Amino acid sequence: MSQLFSKDNRQILTAPLNGDNPIMIQILGICSALAVTAQLEPAIVMGLSVTVITAFSNVIISIIRKTIPNRIRIIIQLVVVAALVTVVSMVLKAFAYDVSVKLSVYVGLIITNCILMGRLEAFAMMNKPWESFLDGIGNGLGYAWILVVIGAVRELLGSGTLLGYTIIPQGAYDAGYVNNGMMTMPAMALILLGIVIGVHRAVNKDIKS
Amino acid sequence: MEHALSLFVRSIFVDNMIFASFLGMCSYLAVSKNVKTSLGLGIAVTFVLLVTVPVDYLLQTKILAEDGLFGTDLTYLSFILFIAVIAGITQLVEMVVERFSPTLYNALGIFLPLIAVNCAIMGASLFMQQRIQMDPATSSQAISSLGDTFVYALGAGIGWTLAIVALAAIREKMAYADVPKPLQGLGIIFITVGLMAMAFMCFSGLSI
Amino acid sequence: MKLNTNSNIYTIIYACVVVVIVAFLLAFVSSALKAPSEANERIDQQKQILASLNLKPEKAQVESQYKQVVVADPIVDTLGNVVSESGGFKVKRKDIGKPQLPVYVCQINGETKYVLPMVGKGLWGTIWGYLALNDDCETVYGAYFSHESETAGLGALIAEADFQSEFKGKKIHDAEGNYLSVVKFGSKQEHPEVQCDGISGATLTTNGVNAMISDYLKMYKNFLNKKKQNL
Repeated sequence: MSQLFSKDNRQILTAPLNGDNPIMIQILGICSALAVTAQLEPAIVMGLSVTVITAFSNVIISIIRKTIPNRIRIIIQLVVVAALVTVVSMVLKAFAYDVSVKLSVYVGLIITNCILMGRLEAFAMMNKPWESFLDGIGNGLGYAWILVVIGAVRELLGSGTLLGYTIIPQGAYDAGYVNNGMMTMPAMALILLGIVIGVHRAVNKDIKS
Repeated sequence: MEHALSLFVRSIFVDNMIFASFLGMCSYLAVSKNVKTSLGLGIAVTFVLLVTVPVDYLLQTKILAEDGLFGTDLTYLSFILFIAVIAGITQLVEMVVERFSPTLYNALGIFLPLIAVNCAIMGASLFMQQRIQMDPATSSQAISSLGDTFVYALGAGIGWTLAIVALAAIREKMAYADVPKPLQGLGIIFITVGLMAMAFMCFSGLSI
Repeated sequence: MKLNTNSNIYTIIYACVVVVIVAFLLAFVSSALKAPSEANERIDQQKQILASLNLKPEKAQVESQYKQVVVADPIVDTLGNVVSESGGFKVKRKDIGKPQLPVYVCQINGETKYVLPMVGKGLWGTIWGYLALNDDCETVYGAYFSHESETAGLGALIAEADFQSEFKGKKIHDAEGNYLSVVKFGSKQEHPEVQCDGISGATLTTNGVNAMISDYLKMYKNFLNKKKQNL
C-alpha cells in the first residue's frame, strides 16, 4: 500500500489540482469548462464524467501501450476515448436523464477534450497503469474543481440557487436584490474564468504566464 | 432558400462557435497571436468543416439512422464514426492539398494536423446530428438536407474565422497595454473574449 | 519472438481487433441500457402532460399517476372527428397538427379534463406546450410550456411555473373572438378574461407562444365544439 501511494505517486495525483492545473496552466479542455457551467449540477456531472473517462482511458492505453502500432497510435487512442465517452453518455441517458439533456452535445465533445489526448500522449504512453490511473484522476479533478467553482458562482449569482435549492433569502429580494441574469449568459463564463486564473496567479506568484 | 439564408446568418453570428458554444477554444487561444496565422487556421477549419459535416450527415442519415442501411438504430456508434471520419479526412485533406496545391499547403500546412482534435469540428457534427431532429418549419436551426449541412458548415467556419481574426487583432494591440500582473497572459485574454462574446450577444435580438 | 509492431499486417490486424472489440462492447452496453433510457424519455413526456394538469409527482410516481389520470389518448382531425381511439401519446412532436391532433382525456377528482398538445416557433427554435381545459371546453385548467433553445433567463422563463400559472382560469377565447394570449409585460390587459402577463425582455418568445396557442386552438376548435354540444 505504501508503495501505491509513494511520494512520487502522490505528487502525480496532486500536481494537476493546483500548480499543473489542466485548465489554468496547461490551457486544455476549456470548451466544455465554459459551456456547461451555467448551473452547478451539470458542472459537477461533467467534471465527474471527465475524471472517470480520463482515468480509465489512461489505464487502458497504458496497459496496451506496448502493443499499439505507432502509425495508428492517435486513431487507437481516439477510438478508446470515443468508446468510453459513448458508454458514459448512455449511462447518463439511462440514469440521469435531466442532466444528460442539459449537457446535450457537450458529453460527446469530451472526446475532443484536449485534456484526454494530452494526458494519453504525455503520460499514459510512457507510464505504468497505476500511475496513469492516478494521473487521470488528478487531472480530471483538477478540471472538475474549476468547473464546480464557476458553476457555483454562476448559479448563485445568476439564479440565486445552488443545485436548484434557493440560497438567497426572500428578504434580500424584498429589499431590492435582483438576480444577475447576465451570469447565466455564456459571456460571463469567460470573464469568470479569467478572474479565477487571475486570482490563482496572484496567489501562486511563482507560476510563469 | 430563405431557410438556408437564415441558417447561414445564424451560424455566423448568433450560434457563433466560439462566443455561443465555446467550441475550438484550445486552438483559438493558442494560435491567435497574430492576424495572419489565425486567418490561415480559420480557413483550414472552414475547409475541414465543409468536408466533414456533410460526410457525417450522410453517415448519420444513410447508415446509422433507424431507417438506414442496416435497419436498426446504430446511433451509439456515431461518436466513434464521427471522430474517425474527422481524423481520417484531416489526413486525407492534408495529402490532397499537398499533392495538388503546394501553395495552399504551405499556407495551411502546420494547422491541418492540429484540426483533428479541434472541438469545433466534432462539435459541428454533433450539433448537426441534434438538429436533424428539429423541424425546419419551426426552427431556423434545423438541418434537413445535404444542402443545409454545407450552409451550416460554411457559416460555422466563417463565424469561427471571424472570431479568431478579431481576437488576434485585439491581442496584437494589447501587447502594448499595461495589464495587471496576475492577469497577464491567459487571464486578460479570457476577459477580452468574454467582452467580445457580450458584444456578439446583441446579435441574439436579430429576427431572421 | 518479439512482435514487430510496425509491420503492415500487424497494424491492420490490430486495428480490426480493436474495432471489433469496441463495436461489440458498445452494442452490448447500448442494448443493456436501452430500456431505462427509453423509459426516461417516456416519463419525461408524461411528466410534461401531468405538469399541465398542475400535478408534479416525484419521478418514480410519474408512470403510475399518469396511468391513473389519463384515461384515453385519441387522435382527432381538424374537423373534430376521432381518427384513432388511442395512440396519441406516440405521435411525434414534429407531427402534431400535421394533421394528427392528439388529445389526452384525463380524470381528476371525478372531473374530465382535456389536454391539448401544441408546437410552435419561438425566437430561436421550437417551443411546445400542453394546455389543459376543463370539461366546459373553455376554461383553462393549467398549462405547461417548454422550449428547445430560448434565451436563458428571458424566453426560457416560459418553462417556469410562475409564467405557466398565469394561464389558470383564463378562457380560451372571448365573445369578440380574441384568443387566449400573452400581452407585453407591464402593458394593460384589455381583455383580462383571455390575457396573461408576459415576460419582460422576452417579447419574441411570447409572440411565438401566442401564435402557437391561437393556431392550435383553431385546429382543435371543431373537436372542442363537438364536445361542448354533447355536454
